[in-house]
Amino acid sequence: MLEVRDLEAWYLQAQALWGVDLSVADGEVVCLVGPNGAGKSTLVKAIAGLHRSTRGTIAVDGVDVARVAAHRVGDHGVALVPEGRRVFARMSVHDNLVLGAYRRGARSGLDAGLARVHELFPRLAERSAQLAGSLSGGEQQMLAIGRALLAQPRLLLMDEPSLGLAPVVVDEVFDAIRTINADGVSVLLVEQDVERALEVSARGYVLAEGRIVASGSAAELTGSALVRRSVLGL
Amino acid sequence: MTTLQAALSGALVGGMFAVMAAGLSLTWGMLRVINLAHFGLILVGAYLTFELATSWGIDPILTIVLTVPLMFLVGAGLQWAFDRLGVEEFASLLVSFGLLIIVMQTVSNVWSADFQRMPGDVNPYATQSVSLGRFVFPAPTLIAFVFAVVIVVTADQVLRRTFAGRALRAFAEDRAVASAFGIDHRRLGMVLAGLSAASAAVAGMLFALGNAVTPSTPFEWIGVVFAVVILGGIGQVGGVLLAGVLVGTLSAVVSATWSPALSPLVLFSAIILALLFRPYGLLTVRGAR
Ligand SMILES: Nc1ncnc2c1ncn2[C@@H]1O[C@H](COP(=O)(O)OP(=O)(O)O)[C@@H](O)[C@H]1O
Ligand SMILES: [Mg+2]
Repeated sequence: MLEVRDLEAWYLQAQALWGVDLSVADGEVVCLVGPNGAGKSTLVKAIAGLHRSTRGTIAVDGVDVARVAAHRVGDHGVALVPEGRRVFARMSVHDNLVLGAYRRGARSGLDAGLARVHELFPRLAERSAQLAGSLSGGEQQMLAIGRALLAQPRLLLMDEPSLGLAPVVVDEVFDAIRTINADGVSVLLVEQDVERALEVSARGYVLAEGRIVASGSAAELTGSALVRRSVLGL
Repeated sequence: MTTLQAALSGALVGGMFAVMAAGLSLTWGMLRVINLAHFGLILVGAYLTFELATSWGIDPILTIVLTVPLMFLVGAGLQWAFDRLGVEEFASLLVSFGLLIIVMQTVSNVWSADFQRMPGDVNPYATQSVSLGRFVFPAPTLIAFVFAVVIVVTADQVLRRTFAGRALRAFAEDRAVASAFGIDHRRLGMVLAGLSAASAAVAGMLFALGNAVTPSTPFEWIGVVFAVVILGGIGQVGGVLLAGVLVGTLSAVVSATWSPALSPLVLFSAIILALLFRPYGLLTVRGAR
Protein backbone atom coordinates (compact mmCIF):
# COMPACT_ATOMS: atom_id res chain seq x y z
CA MET A 1 0.00 0.00 0.00
CA LEU A 2 2.54 2.55 1.22
CA GLU A 3 6.32 2.40 0.86
CA VAL A 4 8.31 5.36 2.12
CA ARG A 5 11.98 5.11 1.15
CA ASP A 6 14.87 7.19 2.38
CA LEU A 7 12.69 10.23 3.00
CA GLU A 8 14.23 13.54 4.00
CA ALA A 9 12.25 16.69 4.66
CA TRP A 10 13.13 20.32 5.24
CA TYR A 11 11.62 23.50 6.58
CA LEU A 12 13.72 25.98 4.62
CA GLN A 13 17.28 25.15 5.77
CA ALA A 14 16.24 23.10 8.78
CA GLN A 15 16.11 19.39 8.14
CA ALA A 16 13.23 17.61 9.92
CA LEU A 17 13.49 14.02 8.60
CA TRP A 18 16.55 11.88 7.86
CA GLY A 19 16.46 8.65 5.80
CA VAL A 20 13.00 7.55 6.91
CA ASP A 21 11.87 4.11 5.71
CA LEU A 22 8.33 3.07 6.53
CA SER A 23 5.70 0.83 5.02
CA VAL A 24 2.04 0.01 5.50
CA ALA A 25 0.69 -3.19 3.96
CA ASP A 26 -2.82 -3.54 2.52
CA GLY A 27 -5.36 -3.69 5.32
CA GLU A 28 -2.83 -3.03 8.07
CA VAL A 29 -2.92 -0.58 10.99
CA VAL A 30 0.54 0.79 11.66
CA CYS A 31 1.33 3.28 14.37
CA LEU A 32 3.97 5.96 14.41
CA VAL A 33 5.00 7.14 17.85
CA GLY A 34 7.65 9.46 19.19
CA PRO A 35 8.16 12.55 21.30
CA ASN A 36 6.97 16.05 20.40
CA GLY A 37 8.94 17.56 17.57
CA ALA A 38 10.18 14.19 16.32
CA GLY A 39 8.82 14.82 12.83
CA LYS A 40 5.68 12.67 12.89
CA SER A 41 3.43 15.37 11.49
CA THR A 42 6.01 16.29 8.90
CA LEU A 43 6.07 12.69 7.68
CA VAL A 44 2.28 12.47 7.54
CA LYS A 45 1.99 15.82 5.76
CA ALA A 46 4.62 14.72 3.25
CA ILE A 47 2.62 11.58 2.46
CA ALA A 48 -0.60 13.61 2.10
CA GLY A 49 1.08 16.08 -0.26
CA LEU A 50 0.94 19.03 2.15
CA HIS A 51 4.68 19.19 2.73
CA ARG A 52 6.56 19.23 -0.55
CA SER A 53 10.09 20.07 0.49
CA THR A 54 11.31 16.47 0.49
CA ARG A 55 13.75 14.04 -1.06
CA GLY A 56 13.23 10.28 -1.36
CA THR A 57 10.16 8.36 -2.51
CA ILE A 58 6.64 8.01 -1.16
CA ALA A 59 5.14 5.16 -3.15
CA VAL A 60 1.42 4.54 -2.89
CA ASP A 61 0.64 1.34 -4.79
CA GLY A 62 3.81 1.96 -6.78
CA VAL A 63 3.12 5.62 -7.64
CA ASP A 64 5.51 8.18 -6.15
CA VAL A 65 3.00 10.68 -4.75
CA ALA A 66 5.78 13.10 -3.83
CA ARG A 67 5.79 13.91 -7.55
CA VAL A 68 2.02 14.21 -7.88
CA ALA A 69 0.29 17.61 -7.59
CA ALA A 70 -0.87 18.16 -4.01
CA HIS A 71 -4.57 18.16 -4.92
CA ARG A 72 -4.19 14.88 -6.82
CA VAL A 73 -2.69 12.82 -4.00
CA GLY A 74 -6.20 11.91 -2.82
CA ASP A 75 -6.86 10.30 -6.21
CA HIS A 76 -4.24 7.70 -5.28
CA GLY A 77 -6.28 6.62 -2.29
CA VAL A 78 -4.76 8.71 0.51
CA ALA A 79 -6.86 10.76 2.95
CA LEU A 80 -5.78 12.79 5.95
CA VAL A 81 -7.17 13.40 9.41
CA PRO A 82 -4.91 16.36 10.22
CA GLU A 83 -3.36 17.20 13.54
CA GLY A 84 -5.64 19.57 15.45
CA ARG A 85 -8.65 18.36 13.41
CA ARG A 86 -8.80 21.44 11.18
CA VAL A 87 -12.46 21.07 10.27
CA PHE A 88 -13.91 23.93 8.22
CA ALA A 89 -15.34 25.86 11.17
CA ARG A 90 -17.62 28.20 9.24
CA MET A 91 -19.19 25.40 7.23
CA SER A 92 -21.92 23.07 8.44
CA VAL A 93 -21.19 19.51 9.52
CA HIS A 94 -22.96 18.28 6.41
CA ASP A 95 -20.94 20.56 4.12
CA ASN A 96 -17.68 19.42 5.74
CA LEU A 97 -18.58 15.83 4.97
CA VAL A 98 -19.68 16.59 1.42
CA LEU A 99 -16.42 18.40 0.87
CA GLY A 100 -14.60 15.21 1.78
CA ALA A 101 -16.08 13.68 -1.37
CA TYR A 102 -14.95 16.61 -3.54
CA ARG A 103 -12.41 14.71 -5.62
CA ARG A 104 -13.96 13.35 -8.79
CA GLY A 105 -13.44 9.70 -7.97
CA ALA A 106 -15.34 10.01 -4.68
CA ARG A 107 -18.47 11.92 -5.69
CA SER A 108 -20.51 8.97 -6.84
CA GLY A 109 -20.06 7.40 -3.41
CA LEU A 110 -21.34 10.47 -1.54
CA ASP A 111 -24.70 9.12 -0.35
CA ALA A 112 -23.35 5.74 0.71
CA GLY A 113 -20.42 7.44 2.41
CA LEU A 114 -22.66 9.82 4.35
CA ALA A 115 -24.79 6.89 5.53
CA ARG A 116 -21.68 4.98 6.64
CA VAL A 117 -20.27 7.94 8.57
CA HIS A 118 -23.61 8.64 10.24
CA GLU A 119 -23.72 5.00 11.28
CA LEU A 120 -20.18 5.22 12.65
CA PHE A 121 -20.78 8.55 14.42
CA PRO A 122 -24.54 9.05 15.00
CA ARG A 123 -23.83 12.38 16.67
CA LEU A 124 -22.73 13.84 13.35
CA ALA A 125 -26.15 13.02 11.91
CA GLU A 126 -27.84 14.86 14.77
CA ARG A 127 -25.60 17.88 14.29
CA SER A 128 -25.75 17.86 10.50
CA ALA A 129 -26.90 21.47 10.03
CA GLN A 130 -24.73 22.93 12.80
CA LEU A 131 -21.57 24.90 12.06
CA ALA A 132 -18.51 22.71 12.57
CA GLY A 133 -16.93 25.45 14.69
CA SER A 134 -19.70 25.06 17.27
CA LEU A 135 -18.99 21.35 17.88
CA SER A 136 -17.14 19.99 20.91
CA GLY A 137 -13.56 18.81 20.43
CA GLY A 138 -14.61 15.18 20.27
CA GLU A 139 -17.32 15.88 17.72
CA GLN A 140 -14.86 17.84 15.61
CA GLN A 141 -12.52 14.87 15.67
CA MET A 142 -15.33 12.60 14.51
CA LEU A 143 -16.07 15.09 11.76
CA ALA A 144 -12.43 15.20 10.68
CA ILE A 145 -12.44 11.40 10.47
CA GLY A 146 -15.79 11.32 8.67
CA ARG A 147 -14.64 13.94 6.18
CA ALA A 148 -11.58 11.85 5.37
CA LEU A 149 -13.68 8.70 4.97
CA LEU A 150 -15.88 10.43 2.39
CA ALA A 151 -12.80 10.74 0.19
CA GLN A 152 -12.99 6.91 0.01
CA PRO A 153 -9.39 6.31 1.00
CA ARG A 154 -7.54 3.02 0.91
CA LEU A 155 -4.95 4.55 3.23
CA LEU A 156 -6.09 6.78 6.09
CA LEU A 157 -3.47 9.00 7.74
CA MET A 158 -4.46 9.99 11.28
CA ASP A 159 -2.36 12.57 13.10
CA GLU A 160 -2.96 12.41 16.87
CA PRO A 161 -6.71 11.83 16.73
CA SER A 162 -7.03 11.45 20.51
CA LEU A 163 -5.19 14.65 21.41
CA GLY A 164 -7.03 16.68 24.04
CA LEU A 165 -10.13 14.49 24.12
CA ALA A 166 -12.00 13.15 27.15
CA PRO A 167 -11.35 9.43 27.88
CA VAL A 168 -14.83 8.28 26.76
CA VAL A 169 -14.38 10.07 23.47
CA VAL A 170 -10.92 8.56 23.03
CA ASP A 171 -12.58 5.13 23.36
CA GLU A 172 -15.00 6.06 20.59
CA VAL A 173 -12.17 7.20 18.33
CA PHE A 174 -10.22 3.97 18.83
CA ASP A 175 -13.37 1.90 18.24
CA ALA A 176 -13.85 3.82 15.02
CA ILE A 177 -10.28 3.04 13.93
CA ARG A 178 -11.00 -0.68 14.36
CA THR A 179 -14.26 -0.44 12.41
CA ILE A 180 -12.68 1.57 9.60
CA ASN A 181 -9.87 -0.95 9.34
CA ALA A 182 -12.37 -3.82 9.33
CA ASP A 183 -13.89 -2.16 6.25
CA GLY A 184 -10.56 -2.76 4.53
CA VAL A 185 -8.90 0.65 4.94
CA SER A 186 -5.20 0.71 5.84
CA VAL A 187 -4.33 3.14 8.63
CA LEU A 188 -1.17 5.00 9.55
CA LEU A 189 -1.83 6.23 13.08
CA VAL A 190 0.27 8.89 14.78
CA GLU A 191 -0.30 8.83 18.52
CA GLN A 192 1.02 10.18 21.80
CA ASP A 193 -0.87 7.51 23.69
CA VAL A 194 1.59 4.72 22.87
CA GLU A 195 -0.13 1.90 24.73
CA ARG A 196 -3.50 2.47 23.13
CA ALA A 197 -1.91 2.94 19.73
CA LEU A 198 -0.11 -0.39 20.00
CA GLU A 199 -3.38 -2.08 21.04
CA VAL A 200 -5.00 -1.33 17.67
CA SER A 201 -1.87 -1.70 15.54
CA ALA A 202 -0.17 -4.70 13.99
CA ARG A 203 3.18 -2.96 13.79
CA GLY A 204 4.74 0.29 14.85
CA TYR A 205 7.61 2.69 14.24
CA VAL A 206 9.33 4.96 16.72
CA LEU A 207 10.50 8.29 15.38
CA ALA A 208 12.91 10.47 17.34
CA GLU A 209 14.64 13.63 16.13
CA GLY A 210 13.66 12.91 12.55
CA ARG A 211 14.94 9.32 12.42
CA ILE A 212 13.28 5.94 12.80
CA VAL A 213 14.94 4.58 15.95
CA ALA A 214 12.89 1.41 16.40
CA SER A 215 10.28 -0.63 14.60
CA GLY A 216 8.61 -3.96 15.01
CA SER A 217 5.41 -5.79 15.80
CA ALA A 218 3.10 -4.30 18.38
CA ALA A 219 4.04 -7.08 20.79
CA GLU A 220 7.77 -6.37 20.42
CA LEU A 221 7.32 -2.64 20.90
CA THR A 222 4.95 -2.99 23.84
CA GLY A 223 7.66 -4.26 26.16
CA SER A 224 10.50 -2.30 24.63
CA ALA A 225 12.64 -0.23 26.95
CA LEU A 226 13.66 1.95 24.01
CA VAL A 227 10.06 2.91 23.32
CA ARG A 228 9.49 3.82 26.93
CA ARG A 229 12.63 5.90 27.02
CA SER A 230 12.30 7.69 23.68
CA VAL A 231 8.55 8.31 23.74
CA LEU A 232 7.63 8.55 27.36
CA GLY A 233 10.94 9.92 28.51
CA LEU A 234 11.10 7.33 31.32
CA MET B 1 -40.41 63.89 -4.11
CA THR B 2 -41.65 62.36 -0.88
CA THR B 3 -39.22 60.83 1.58
CA LEU B 4 -40.72 57.40 0.96
CA GLN B 5 -40.29 57.74 -2.79
CA ALA B 6 -36.67 58.78 -2.18
CA ALA B 7 -36.08 55.82 0.11
CA LEU B 8 -37.46 53.33 -2.42
CA SER B 9 -35.52 54.85 -5.31
CA GLY B 10 -32.39 54.79 -3.16
CA ALA B 11 -32.93 51.13 -2.34
CA LEU B 12 -33.04 50.36 -6.06
CA VAL B 13 -29.85 52.34 -6.68
CA GLY B 14 -28.34 50.21 -3.91
CA GLY B 15 -28.92 47.25 -6.20
CA MET B 16 -26.32 48.60 -8.59
CA PHE B 17 -23.83 49.07 -5.75
CA ALA B 18 -24.50 45.47 -4.81
CA VAL B 19 -23.67 44.26 -8.33
CA MET B 20 -20.46 46.31 -8.22
CA ALA B 21 -19.59 44.97 -4.77
CA ALA B 22 -20.48 41.28 -5.20
CA GLY B 23 -17.41 40.26 -7.20
CA LEU B 24 -15.08 42.39 -5.10
CA SER B 25 -16.40 40.85 -1.89
CA LEU B 26 -16.08 37.27 -3.16
CA THR B 27 -12.54 37.55 -4.49
CA TRP B 28 -11.47 39.37 -1.33
CA GLY B 29 -13.07 36.81 0.98
CA MET B 30 -12.20 33.67 -0.93
CA LEU B 31 -8.92 34.46 -2.69
CA ARG B 32 -7.53 37.09 -0.31
CA VAL B 33 -7.04 39.50 -3.19
CA ILE B 34 -8.28 43.08 -2.74
CA ASN B 35 -8.79 43.84 -6.38
CA LEU B 36 -9.10 47.57 -7.04
CA ALA B 37 -8.78 46.78 -10.74
CA HIS B 38 -12.37 45.52 -10.38
CA PHE B 39 -13.44 49.16 -10.67
CA GLY B 40 -11.41 49.43 -13.85
CA LEU B 41 -13.26 46.42 -15.24
CA ILE B 42 -16.60 48.01 -14.37
CA LEU B 43 -15.45 51.16 -16.15
CA VAL B 44 -14.41 49.22 -19.24
CA GLY B 45 -17.71 47.35 -19.10
CA ALA B 46 -19.58 50.66 -19.11
CA TYR B 47 -17.56 51.97 -22.07
CA LEU B 48 -17.93 48.74 -24.03
CA THR B 49 -21.70 48.91 -23.58
CA PHE B 50 -21.60 52.53 -24.74
CA GLU B 51 -19.46 51.64 -27.74
CA LEU B 52 -21.37 48.54 -28.81
CA ALA B 53 -24.71 50.32 -28.46
CA THR B 54 -23.76 53.55 -30.24
CA SER B 55 -21.49 52.18 -32.98
CA TRP B 56 -23.06 48.80 -33.62
CA GLY B 57 -26.64 49.53 -32.60
CA ILE B 58 -26.83 46.61 -30.20
CA ASP B 59 -29.46 46.88 -27.46
CA PRO B 60 -27.47 48.10 -24.43
CA ILE B 61 -28.64 45.29 -22.17
CA LEU B 62 -27.75 42.68 -24.77
CA THR B 63 -24.17 43.98 -24.96
CA ILE B 64 -23.40 41.78 -21.97
CA VAL B 65 -23.62 38.77 -24.27
CA LEU B 66 -20.29 40.00 -25.65
CA THR B 67 -18.78 41.78 -22.65
CA VAL B 68 -19.40 39.07 -20.06
CA PRO B 69 -17.33 36.32 -21.77
CA LEU B 70 -14.62 38.84 -22.61
CA MET B 71 -14.39 40.08 -19.02
CA PHE B 72 -14.44 36.53 -17.72
CA LEU B 73 -11.24 35.85 -19.65
CA VAL B 74 -9.65 39.09 -18.45
CA GLY B 75 -10.50 38.35 -14.82
CA ALA B 76 -9.25 34.78 -15.00
CA GLY B 77 -6.03 35.94 -16.67
CA LEU B 78 -5.49 38.58 -14.01
CA GLN B 79 -5.92 36.01 -11.24
CA TRP B 80 -3.52 33.69 -13.02
CA ALA B 81 -0.94 36.49 -12.98
CA PHE B 82 -1.59 37.38 -9.31
CA ASP B 83 -1.19 33.73 -8.42
CA ARG B 84 2.01 33.20 -10.44
CA LEU B 85 3.56 36.34 -9.00
CA GLY B 86 2.54 35.33 -5.48
CA VAL B 87 0.72 38.61 -4.81
CA GLU B 88 -0.49 38.67 -1.20
CA GLU B 89 -3.53 40.43 0.25
CA PHE B 90 -1.91 43.79 1.01
CA ALA B 91 0.34 43.83 -2.05
CA SER B 92 -2.71 43.09 -4.20
CA LEU B 93 -4.20 46.40 -3.06
CA LEU B 94 -1.18 48.30 -4.38
CA VAL B 95 -0.71 46.28 -7.56
CA SER B 96 -4.38 46.46 -8.49
CA PHE B 97 -4.49 50.20 -7.72
CA GLY B 98 -1.74 50.61 -10.29
CA LEU B 99 -3.77 48.55 -12.74
CA LEU B 100 -6.83 50.70 -12.09
CA ILE B 101 -4.89 53.86 -12.91
CA ILE B 102 -3.54 52.27 -16.10
CA VAL B 103 -7.05 51.23 -17.15
CA MET B 104 -8.46 54.71 -16.46
CA GLN B 105 -5.68 56.33 -18.47
CA THR B 106 -6.17 53.91 -21.35
CA VAL B 107 -9.92 54.51 -21.37
CA SER B 108 -9.23 58.23 -21.45
CA ASN B 109 -6.91 57.80 -24.46
CA VAL B 110 -9.43 55.71 -26.35
CA TRP B 111 -12.68 57.54 -25.56
CA SER B 112 -11.33 60.96 -24.40
CA ALA B 113 -11.79 62.44 -20.93
CA ASP B 114 -15.25 63.81 -21.78
CA PHE B 115 -18.52 62.50 -20.43
CA GLN B 116 -20.04 59.83 -22.66
CA ARG B 117 -23.69 58.99 -22.57
CA MET B 118 -25.64 56.72 -24.88
CA PRO B 119 -28.04 58.82 -26.95
CA GLY B 120 -31.75 58.21 -26.45
CA ASP B 121 -32.24 56.47 -29.80
CA VAL B 122 -29.87 53.62 -28.87
CA ASN B 123 -30.77 53.54 -25.18
CA PRO B 124 -34.57 53.50 -24.87
CA TYR B 125 -34.33 52.52 -21.20
CA ALA B 126 -32.86 55.85 -20.06
CA THR B 127 -36.08 57.77 -20.50
CA GLN B 128 -38.53 55.05 -19.48
CA SER B 129 -39.98 54.76 -16.04
CA VAL B 130 -42.23 52.32 -14.29
CA SER B 131 -45.08 53.37 -12.01
CA LEU B 132 -46.05 51.18 -9.12
CA GLY B 133 -49.05 52.68 -7.33
CA ARG B 134 -48.15 56.26 -6.53
CA PHE B 135 -44.42 55.63 -6.92
CA VAL B 136 -42.41 56.13 -10.09
CA PHE B 137 -39.08 54.40 -10.74
CA PRO B 138 -36.65 55.06 -13.58
CA ALA B 139 -36.23 51.91 -15.66
CA PRO B 140 -32.39 51.77 -15.32
CA THR B 141 -32.44 51.52 -11.52
CA LEU B 142 -35.26 48.98 -11.60
CA ILE B 143 -33.34 46.87 -14.12
CA ALA B 144 -30.19 47.16 -11.99
CA PHE B 145 -32.08 45.95 -8.96
CA VAL B 146 -33.47 42.93 -10.80
CA PHE B 147 -29.95 42.02 -11.97
CA ALA B 148 -28.66 42.48 -8.41
CA VAL B 149 -31.22 40.08 -6.98
CA VAL B 150 -30.60 37.49 -9.69
CA ILE B 151 -26.79 37.69 -9.37
CA VAL B 152 -26.72 37.64 -5.58
CA VAL B 153 -29.26 34.84 -5.19
CA THR B 154 -27.52 32.73 -7.83
CA ALA B 155 -24.08 33.28 -6.30
CA ASP B 156 -25.41 32.54 -2.83
CA GLN B 157 -27.02 29.28 -3.93
CA VAL B 158 -23.94 28.18 -5.85
CA LEU B 159 -21.78 28.80 -2.76
CA ARG B 160 -24.20 26.92 -0.54
CA ARG B 161 -25.18 23.97 -2.65
CA THR B 162 -22.58 23.03 -5.25
CA PHE B 163 -19.29 21.20 -4.91
CA ALA B 164 -17.48 24.21 -6.36
CA GLY B 165 -19.17 26.55 -3.88
CA ARG B 166 -18.26 24.40 -0.91
CA ALA B 167 -14.74 24.06 -2.27
CA LEU B 168 -14.40 27.85 -2.38
CA ARG B 169 -15.59 28.23 1.19
CA ALA B 170 -13.28 25.47 2.36
CA PHE B 171 -10.39 27.00 0.47
CA ALA B 172 -11.08 30.40 2.08
CA GLU B 173 -10.80 28.78 5.52
CA ASP B 174 -7.85 26.42 5.18
CA ARG B 175 -5.96 26.20 1.91
CA ALA B 176 -3.71 23.32 2.88
CA VAL B 177 -6.47 21.03 4.11
CA ALA B 178 -8.64 22.00 1.15
CA SER B 179 -5.90 20.89 -1.22
CA ALA B 180 -5.62 17.56 0.62
CA PHE B 181 -9.25 16.99 -0.36
CA GLY B 182 -8.58 17.56 -4.03
CA ILE B 183 -9.22 21.28 -4.35
CA ASP B 184 -7.09 22.82 -7.08
CA HIS B 185 -6.86 26.40 -5.86
CA ARG B 186 -5.37 27.68 -9.10
CA ARG B 187 -8.23 26.53 -11.29
CA LEU B 188 -10.95 27.42 -8.80
CA GLY B 189 -9.39 30.84 -8.18
CA MET B 190 -9.33 31.61 -11.90
CA VAL B 191 -12.96 30.59 -12.31
CA LEU B 192 -14.03 32.75 -9.36
CA ALA B 193 -12.01 35.75 -10.53
CA GLY B 194 -13.44 35.25 -14.02
CA LEU B 195 -16.99 35.25 -12.69
CA SER B 196 -16.24 38.29 -10.58
CA ALA B 197 -14.97 40.14 -13.64
CA ALA B 198 -18.05 38.99 -15.57
CA SER B 199 -20.20 40.61 -12.89
CA ALA B 200 -18.14 43.78 -13.37
CA ALA B 201 -19.17 43.74 -17.03
CA VAL B 202 -22.82 43.58 -15.94
CA ALA B 203 -22.28 46.37 -13.40
CA GLY B 204 -20.72 48.53 -16.09
CA MET B 205 -23.67 47.95 -18.40
CA LEU B 206 -26.11 48.80 -15.61
CA PHE B 207 -24.24 52.01 -14.84
CA ALA B 208 -24.10 53.08 -18.50
CA LEU B 209 -27.83 52.45 -18.81
CA GLY B 210 -28.71 55.35 -16.52
CA ASN B 211 -25.62 57.53 -16.30
CA ALA B 212 -22.97 59.39 -18.22
CA VAL B 213 -19.50 58.01 -17.66
CA THR B 214 -16.00 59.53 -17.68
CA PRO B 215 -12.61 57.86 -17.15
CA SER B 216 -12.49 59.13 -13.56
CA THR B 217 -15.94 57.81 -12.57
CA PRO B 218 -14.43 54.85 -10.61
CA PHE B 219 -13.36 57.29 -7.89
CA GLU B 220 -17.07 57.96 -7.25
CA TRP B 221 -17.71 54.24 -6.76
CA ILE B 222 -14.79 53.13 -4.61
CA GLY B 223 -15.91 54.62 -1.28
CA VAL B 224 -19.50 53.47 -1.44
CA VAL B 225 -18.71 50.03 -2.88
CA PHE B 226 -16.03 49.32 -0.27
CA ALA B 227 -18.50 50.36 2.40
CA VAL B 228 -21.03 47.92 0.95
CA VAL B 229 -18.46 45.09 0.86
CA ILE B 230 -17.32 45.60 4.44
CA LEU B 231 -20.80 46.24 5.82
CA GLY B 232 -22.09 43.14 4.06
CA GLY B 233 -19.25 41.06 5.47
CA ILE B 234 -16.22 40.30 3.31
CA GLY B 235 -16.92 37.23 1.19
CA GLN B 236 -20.64 37.18 2.06
CA VAL B 237 -22.56 37.72 -1.09
CA GLY B 238 -25.97 37.85 0.58
CA GLY B 239 -24.76 40.62 2.85
CA VAL B 240 -23.76 42.67 -0.17
CA LEU B 241 -27.37 43.03 -1.32
CA LEU B 242 -28.62 43.98 2.14
CA ALA B 243 -25.79 46.47 2.62
CA GLY B 244 -26.27 47.89 -0.88
CA VAL B 245 -29.95 48.51 -0.23
CA LEU B 246 -29.27 50.10 3.17
CA VAL B 247 -26.52 52.34 1.85
CA GLY B 248 -28.57 53.36 -1.18
CA THR B 249 -31.63 54.11 0.92
CA LEU B 250 -29.74 56.09 3.54
CA SER B 251 -27.90 58.30 1.07
CA ALA B 252 -31.07 58.97 -0.93
CA VAL B 253 -33.06 59.88 2.19
CA VAL B 254 -30.33 62.20 3.50
CA SER B 255 -30.02 63.84 0.09
CA ALA B 256 -33.79 64.36 -0.17
CA THR B 257 -34.45 65.59 3.34
CA TRP B 258 -31.26 67.53 4.16
CA SER B 259 -28.82 68.04 1.37
CA PRO B 260 -26.88 65.88 -1.09
CA ALA B 261 -23.69 67.43 0.26
CA LEU B 262 -24.33 65.91 3.69
CA SER B 263 -25.03 62.46 2.31
CA PRO B 264 -21.46 61.04 2.38
CA LEU B 265 -20.86 62.44 5.86
CA VAL B 266 -23.98 60.84 7.34
CA LEU B 267 -23.49 57.66 5.34
CA PHE B 268 -19.93 56.95 6.45
CA SER B 269 -20.66 57.92 10.05
CA ALA B 270 -23.50 55.43 10.05
CA ILE B 271 -21.28 52.75 8.52
CA ILE B 272 -18.57 53.28 11.14
CA LEU B 273 -21.21 53.02 13.87
CA ALA B 274 -22.63 49.84 12.34
CA LEU B 275 -19.19 48.25 12.16
CA LEU B 276 -18.53 49.03 15.82
CA PHE B 277 -21.43 46.73 16.66
CA ARG B 278 -20.94 44.23 13.84
CA PRO B 279 -17.24 44.24 12.97
CA TYR B 280 -17.55 41.30 10.56
CA GLY B 281 -20.56 42.64 8.67
CA LEU B 282 -24.28 43.00 9.21
CA LEU B 283 -25.10 39.32 8.85
CA THR B 284 -22.25 37.92 10.95
CA VAL B 285 -22.90 37.60 14.64
CA ARG B 286 -19.96 37.68 17.00
CA GLY B 287 -18.17 34.35 17.38
CA ALA B 288 -19.44 32.81 14.15
CA ARG B 289 -16.17 33.71 12.48
N1 LIG C 1 6.08 25.05 9.84
C1 LIG C 1 7.28 24.76 10.35
N2 LIG C 1 8.34 25.58 10.14
C2 LIG C 1 9.55 25.30 10.66
N3 LIG C 1 9.82 24.20 11.39
C3 LIG C 1 8.82 23.35 11.64
C4 LIG C 1 7.50 23.58 11.14
N4 LIG C 1 6.70 22.57 11.52
C5 LIG C 1 7.49 21.75 12.24
N5 LIG C 1 8.76 22.21 12.31
C6 LIG C 1 9.88 21.56 12.98
O1 LIG C 1 10.04 20.28 12.44
C7 LIG C 1 10.30 19.33 13.46
C8 LIG C 1 9.26 18.23 13.41
O2 LIG C 1 7.97 18.78 13.71
P1 LIG C 1 6.66 17.90 13.64
O3 LIG C 1 6.68 17.12 12.40
O4 LIG C 1 5.51 18.81 13.85
O5 LIG C 1 6.82 16.95 14.90
P2 LIG C 1 5.77 16.05 15.66
O6 LIG C 1 4.53 15.97 14.85
O7 LIG C 1 6.45 14.73 15.82
O8 LIG C 1 5.53 16.70 16.99
C9 LIG C 1 10.29 20.11 14.77
O9 LIG C 1 11.63 20.39 15.11
C10 LIG C 1 9.56 21.37 14.45
O10 LIG C 1 10.04 22.43 15.23
MG1 LIG D 1 2.62 16.49 15.33
